[in-house]
Amino acid sequence: MPFFKRKKQEQQPKTEEQQTVKKEHLLEEIETYQNRLANGDNEDSVPLFNMLGSLYFELEDYDQAIHFYEQSIEQKKAIGKAFTDLVKLYNVKRKQASNAKDHQAVQYYLQKSDELMKLTKDSIRENM
Amino acid sequence: MGFIDFIINSILTQASITIALIAFAGLLLQRRPFGEVMSGSFKTMLGFLVLSAGSSIIVGSLLYFGEIFSEGFGMEGIVPSIEAINGQAMNELGLANQIALTFLAIFIFNILLARLTKWKYIFLTGQALLWMATITTVFGSAAGFTGIGLILIGGLVGGIFAVAMPAIAQPIVKKITGSDDIALGHFCTIGYLFAAGVAKLVGKNSDSTENIKFPKGLGFLSDTYLSVAIVMVPLYVITAAFAGGEFGTALSGDVNYIVFAFLQAVQFVVGVYVLLSGVRLLLGEIVPAFRGIALKVVPDAKPALDCPVLFPYAPNAVTAGFITTTIGTVIAMFVLPWFGLAMILPGMLTNFFAGGTAGIFMNAVGGRRGVLIGGITHGFFITLLPALLVPSFNSLGFVNTTATDVDTVTAGLLFEWLIQPFMSLFG
Repeated sequence: MPFFKRKKQEQQPKTEEQQTVKKEHLLEEIETYQNRLANGDNEDSVPLFNMLGSLYFELEDYDQAIHFYEQSIEQKKAIGKAFTDLVKLYNVKRKQASNAKDHQAVQYYLQKSDELMKLTKDSIRENM
Repeated sequence: MGFIDFIINSILTQASITIALIAFAGLLLQRRPFGEVMSGSFKTMLGFLVLSAGSSIIVGSLLYFGEIFSEGFGMEGIVPSIEAINGQAMNELGLANQIALTFLAIFIFNILLARLTKWKYIFLTGQALLWMATITTVFGSAAGFTGIGLILIGGLVGGIFAVAMPAIAQPIVKKITGSDDIALGHFCTIGYLFAAGVAKLVGKNSDSTENIKFPKGLGFLSDTYLSVAIVMVPLYVITAAFAGGEFGTALSGDVNYIVFAFLQAVQFVVGVYVLLSGVRLLLGEIVPAFRGIALKVVPDAKPALDCPVLFPYAPNAVTAGFITTTIGTVIAMFVLPWFGLAMILPGMLTNFFAGGTAGIFMNAVGGRRGVLIGGITHGFFITLLPALLVPSFNSLGFVNTTATDVDTVTAGLLFEWLIQPFMSLFG
């Protein structure tokens, strides 16, 4: 049955060297977008927040990723990647908290995910 | 002895008090601070009493509706409302304590199954679990279970649904979200898979719904209370008109019978509002505590979240699924009475959440053609299953109402078609 299949191993860069190169590349990109965010007076900041959220997610810096995605949603409740990635990010943080037996943090991220569900419902209704 | 009798006969028979005591014990077990234990227990009791008040309002309105509908159309008109079923089961049928304990039992079975099997799903949508507990208790009790047996069978069946439904949806959820970390915890899953099956058959090479431009302005139809009013008000008013002035005035007294029908429809909405506020209060204290425990016991759990978790992946499919499912429910409303089944009125709220989520499933496997045809059949399907339960609800004493949420309905049918005959073999 298909739902018993094991998850396929994702294609990750294998060597340490490759990983370092990838990380450096991501950090460079982050710097570029951070500069644009700092200087771009006329530029719409929402796509920049989303970009930074996405890059930090890839870099596995989850707190920063959450920070930028939350800022994006605060500015504009555009249904899309900010919403879908935030659910995943809250779950990653919740999992870390579960493993660390940090009960308060577990509740905090569950609460965050509840709030996001409610926001999703409201935003969908507004956009219908 | 007198004191013990007083506790057993005068206190523990009061569902609001026993439910508060269950919450009290639960909070105490988690070593919560004293203030939290007290406020949590009190809010739980308050929640139950608010829920009961909402239920009385709904029942009053439904009794009126039942009378004018049979007078006007000579048949039975059934309002699908799981809230009304829950309220009546807790109050009129006196099953509140059993439902509360089954609710906790479902949580425990869910945790056990997630811990011991490879289905690592923890069902996080509290309200859906309460509806499931309601149905398993009502039908378990009808099948002859009582006491601890009733709670255990309800907990087991509910617990299996709590892990099995996310599990069977997961292949498509994975396709939609691109990840295996998040699951769907919504008891309409059998409908989603049915709809997706149809969509897959008919929607080969069909383009995605996300490339369609939809007209705006449908949002009001998805508002919890407005959506109920939109169906109920015309329905009550038209039915009252068919029932006629003489019959209507006998029920409405000094008030004009059409105005009375309008006000009764609004009363139904008020009842749903009050009942759901009660449910929120009731679950507000218990659910977070249990979710914390569940995720502590099963740290690698996949959280099964409420259906809006999928909405951002295909917002157009939500609108399309909502519309096509509504069309299907309207068709079913007229077609089912031909086959001797009751006339089930469309439940707009279910159409939005279940139809919208089904839209995402259908779009993922069958594109826009899949959503169109699959959605209509989905609407038909989610009206047919509750219609099958109507005779049982009627014989159990429920007033002109049936359950929604097809997985919950399926659990009811499971009791009625399998467990009850099996039990009667040994009865």
